[in-house]
Amino acid sequence: MSRPSSEEMVLIFRGTHQVMSAEKHLKKGGVAMRLIPVPRRLTSDCGLAIRIPAGLQAKARKVLSAVKLLPKSAHRLLNQGEYETVPF
Amino acid sequence: MSPRSTTPRDFVYLDNAATSLPKAVGVADAVRAALLRAGNPGRSAHVLSIRSARDLFAARERLAGFFGSADSSRFVFTENATTALNIAIKGILRPGDHVVTTSVEHNSVMRPLRRMEEGGCRITVVPAGRDGVVDAKAVLSAIRKDTRLVAVVHASNVSGAIQPVGEIVRGARRLGAFTLVDAAQTAGGLPIHLGDLPADMLAAPGHKGLLGPQGTGFLYVREGVPLAPLIEGGTGSRSEEDHQPDFYPDALESGTQNSVGLAGLAVSLSWLLRKGADNIRKKEMGLIAELIEGMERIRGVTVFGPKDTAKCVSVLSFLVEGMDPAETGRRLEKGFGILVRAGLHCSPNSHRTLGTFPEGTVRLSPGPFTTRKEIALLLRALRKISASRR
Ligand SMILES: Cc1ncc(COP(=O)(O)O)c(C=O)c1O
Repeated sequence: MSRPSSEEMVLIFRGTHQVMSAEKHLKKGGVAMRLIPVPRRLTSDCGLAIRIPAGLQAKARKVLSAVKLLPKSAHRLLNQGEYETVPF
Repeated sequence: MSPRSTTPRDFVYLDNAATSLPKAVGVADAVRAALLRAGNPGRSAHVLSIRSARDLFAARERLAGFFGSADSSRFVFTENATTALNIAIKGILRPGDHVVTTSVEHNSVMRPLRRMEEGGCRITVVPAGRDGVVDAKAVLSAIRKDTRLVAVVHASNVSGAIQPVGEIVRGARRLGAFTLVDAAQTAGGLPIHLGDLPADMLAAPGHKGLLGPQGTGFLYVREGVPLAPLIEGGTGSRSEEDHQPDFYPDALESGTQNSVGLAGLAVSLSWLLRKGADNIRKKEMGLIAELIEGMERIRGVTVFGPKDTAKCVSVLSFLVEGMDPAETGRRLEKGFGILVRAGLHCSPNSHRTLGTFPEGTVRLSPGPFTTRKEIALLLRALRKISASRR
C-alpha cells in the first residue's frame, strides 16, 4: 500500500510537549517531518502539529508507538485544502 | 570564560542553600539571549513561540536525564520549590486524610500541611534526633490505614543532615501511602535517581543546587499519582474545552511559563550532566570537611548537625558562644565580605530539634564554585570574631 510520497499527512498531538517529543523521536528515527501550525479546521488542540510524507506513515508509527507517543489523530491532506481523517 | 566570571568579586558567597551563586557557566548568557527572542512557549505556532517551546522542552528533557526518568512529561515546571510542594500537598490530600511528616521540614511543607489540617486533614509530625536525622522506622510506624501522604525532606536546610528517604519511600509505598520528597537541598549536590528512589512526587528548585536562575523549579509526579491541579487555566492545548487537560505536563502547568529562566536552567543542567552530581558532591564535601575540622578547633564555636560528610549535604549550622547569630552574620559581612545566612532559615521545628530555637543559627553553604581559599578566609574571620567576643 504505497502512496506517492508527495502526499502529506498531518499528525495531531495532545499538547506542545508531546509534539516536541514526537519531533525528537521522529528525527532520531530518520522520519522526514516538519512542524506546522495546526490547521484550524482540524482541531484547536495545541498550536503545533507534525507533517510527514504519507509514505512514511508506517515508519513513523513504528517510531512513535515504541515510545508510546501515538498521535491523537492523523489526517491526509486532500486536494482543495480538505482533510480526511485516517487511521494511524 | 572562567566559571567565576559572574560572581561579584568583592564577596565570599557562602549562602548557596538559599540560592546558588555563581550560576553554572553560560546560564546568564542563555537567559539574556532567550529574553531577547522570547515568544510565548506553546501558544502560537510562529518561529519565536516554537523556539521558546524548545527551551522548555530542552530543560524538561535534561531534568529527566539528570534524575534518571524516562518520561520528561512528568516534570512539571514551577517558579520555585515552594510552589511545587504546594501543588503536591494540596493536590493529593482530601479532607479527612492523614499525613506523616517530620520535625525537620521547611515551612514550605509545614505551612501547606497546617492549612490542610484546617480543612480536615490530620498530621503526625515525627521528631528527629538531636543530630537532626529522623528515624525511618519511626516514620513508617506512624503510617496508618488512612495515611494518604508521607512528606519528608531529603536533607535539612538547617543542619544539612541527609534523611533516610529511600527507606521511608519504599516502606511507605508498601504500606499504601503516597510519598513526597522535598529535594530542595539535595537536587544537584546529591545524586538522585528516580529509578532507585521510587518517590511518587519530588519537588526541587532550579535556583539552588541545579544552578539555574530564580523563578525556576519543578515537581516530578510519577505516572498514576492522582493529583488535582492547584492552578487551572490556559495551557495552549484543548482550547475548546472548559475543563483542565488531564495529561502531563499541561495538567499542572497553566499560564505562560518562564521560558527565559528555563533556557538558563537547560544550560545549567547540561553543565551538571557533564560534571555529574557525585563529582560535585565530592568537591563540596571536601570543603565541608575542612570547615568542620577548622571550626571545631575554634574556641567558642559550636557546630550543629551530623559533623560527618557521609551524612550531610553542603550545609552547616553553627553558633559563636554568647553572640546573636545575626550579629555573627553582620560581622562576617562587614568585616570580611563573607555572605552567610543567620536565623531560623524558615524551619523553626528543625531548631527545636537541634536546641537552637528561637535564636537560630548561622548557616554556611558552600557551592560547587566555592574555593578552599574562601573556606580558609571564613575560618580566619571566625577565629577573629570569636577571639574578639568579650
Ligand atoms: C528544605 C527546603 N524546602 C523548600 C525550600 C523552598 O525553596 P524555594 O525558595 O525554591 O521555594 C527551601 C529553600 O528555601 C528548602 O531549603
